Amino acid sequence: MENYGVYAARLASKVDGLAPGHRACIGCGEALAVRLACKAMGENVIIANATGCMEIISSQLPTTSWDVPWIHTLFENTAAVASGVESGLKSMAKKGIKPSKGTKVVAMAGDGGTSDIGLQALSGALERGHDLLYICFDNEAYMNTGIQRSSSTPMGASTTTSPAGKQSIGQKTWKKNMPAIAAAHDIPYVATASPSYPFDMMKKIKKGLEVEGPAYVHVLSVCPTGWRSATDLSVRLGRLAVQTGVFPLYEVENGKYKLNIDPSPLRPLQDYLKLQGRFRHLSEGTIKQIQERVVSEYEKLKQKCACS
Amino acid sequence: MVKITIDGREFEAEDNAKILDVAKSHNIYIPTLCAHESVSPAGTCRLCLVETTNKEGRNRVVPSCLTAVEEGLVVSTNSEKVVSERKTAMQKLLARAPESPALKTLAEKLGVNGTPLPAEEHHNCVLCGLCTRVCQEVVGVNAISKINRSTEPGAVPFTVNIDDCIACGSCAYVCPTNAITMTEVGDTRTITWPYQKQEFKLAKCKVCGRYWLPEKQIGYMAGKSGQPKEFFDTCMDCRK
Repeated sequence: MENYGVYAARLASKVDGLAPGHRACIGCGEALAVRLACKAMGENVIIANATGCMEIISSQLPTTSWDVPWIHTLFENTAAVASGVESGLKSMAKKGIKPSKGTKVVAMAGDGGTSDIGLQALSGALERGHDLLYICFDNEAYMNTGIQRSSSTPMGASTTTSPAGKQSIGQKTWKKNMPAIAAAHDIPYVATASPSYPFDMMKKIKKGLEVEGPAYVHVLSVCPTGWRSATDLSVRLGRLAVQTGVFPLYEVENGKYKLNIDPSPLRPLQDYLKLQGRFRHLSEGTIKQIQERVVSEYEKLKQKCACS
Repeated sequence: MVKITIDGREFEAEDNAKILDVAKSHNIYIPTLCAHESVSPAGTCRLCLVETTNKEGRNRVVPSCLTAVEEGLVVSTNSEKVVSERKTAMQKLLARAPESPALKTLAEKLGVNGTPLPAEEHHNCVLCGLCTRVCQEVVGVNAISKINRSTEPGAVPFTVNIDDCIACGSCAYVCPTNAITMTEVGDTRTITWPYQKQEFKLAKCKVCGRYWLPEKQIGYMAGKSGQPKEFFDTCMDCRK
């Protein structure tokens, strides 16, 4: 990936689908991610947004941050609503009721709405082959309702429903590999992205919109409130997640894996964990265990990239 | 404020706003290649041509990126005249860069199949000049400039002054046809322009040992920001 630095950033689109003035916490990585995604999507788009942080912060009555058509859906049916919108547009164009203007349909949800509650609707939409882009903004727990664990919460993280203490290390299960589940549907485009690498992320969102058929983009959104990290470290944490190998940035185009940023040699996991209060209680043994898992997962991914 | 009509719809627009910007803000599609919201318009690609009729009834085909709105102006973005002129413009661009995937996609979208004109060059540059404007107006280093635009064989249409270039890659980012590319391998960043190629050394972070910034940018950024040069010894992630 090209590292464009500070100058090309001034050339990024000035369209803001998500207007400022919303109620996200200080240092919210997800609001940043949504803003970047909106820049990449442009204005000719309809968004179906699951319940979650992004819906709460952007649409408190009587105000709205959205400058594009936007539908609030339930946790479980975001992908279903988006497929309905897509089919509706297609059908109206076919019957000549409304000519097709190339409007894109985007579904967005958090990690709970994607990997727990909305999984079956998502799986259905991906399998039926609707021409939509599904973006998962993964902040690794149900942050909006008060930091409850989800299946996307990483091992060892302390949340309010997986609290760390004498008997517990916090979350006891490994993070669900959602991009792999999406890729297993054999859809044309799956990618992981991070707002800490804005150009890479915008490129992936654009690519996801351009491909015909379903596309899935998994975005790691740092949440200072839930991760118990300093608010000025959100962007850095996103980069560290990539450089430590916790969240490698890759894309799967028609089954072909490609690593977009090669972080090797990997940074020690401790660089990433020590900045977050949710991992503060971890013993060296547990950290070693997680580190081993991160390296082995990363090696597996590298092998997939080398094979395709 | 003035009132104008675009494709039969009436809009209010700011005085001196350009037709292209007004159309864009109302979601009316006009194809463009050399226009960018961050730099001044140049009107080089000729794809944004529209037909205008003013109050006196004067009918013209003009580039919408350069033409300001006026009271009572009637604009058509896809009249017969516009479509045929746009097709000619597209064919000329295709002759300039016949193999450019981005150009081919746009041509297909506009319904232009190939070009009857002989191919002039075999790279992706269509001389839209967006890189030169970005280098001057956004980055402020003026490293790329257009020269010798002529039909003479062998005339290089633009050059990059490597001494001035800070290897920021903005030209590669903005290039609409991917004629300029940037790659990074190990400690070297390579930028390839249609007639030139240059390798730039990257600076190493003293803490983590990663290459993170072109050495040429350090001096430039230190001068602009007033930070001491040692500030750039460590990368953003290792900085305390």
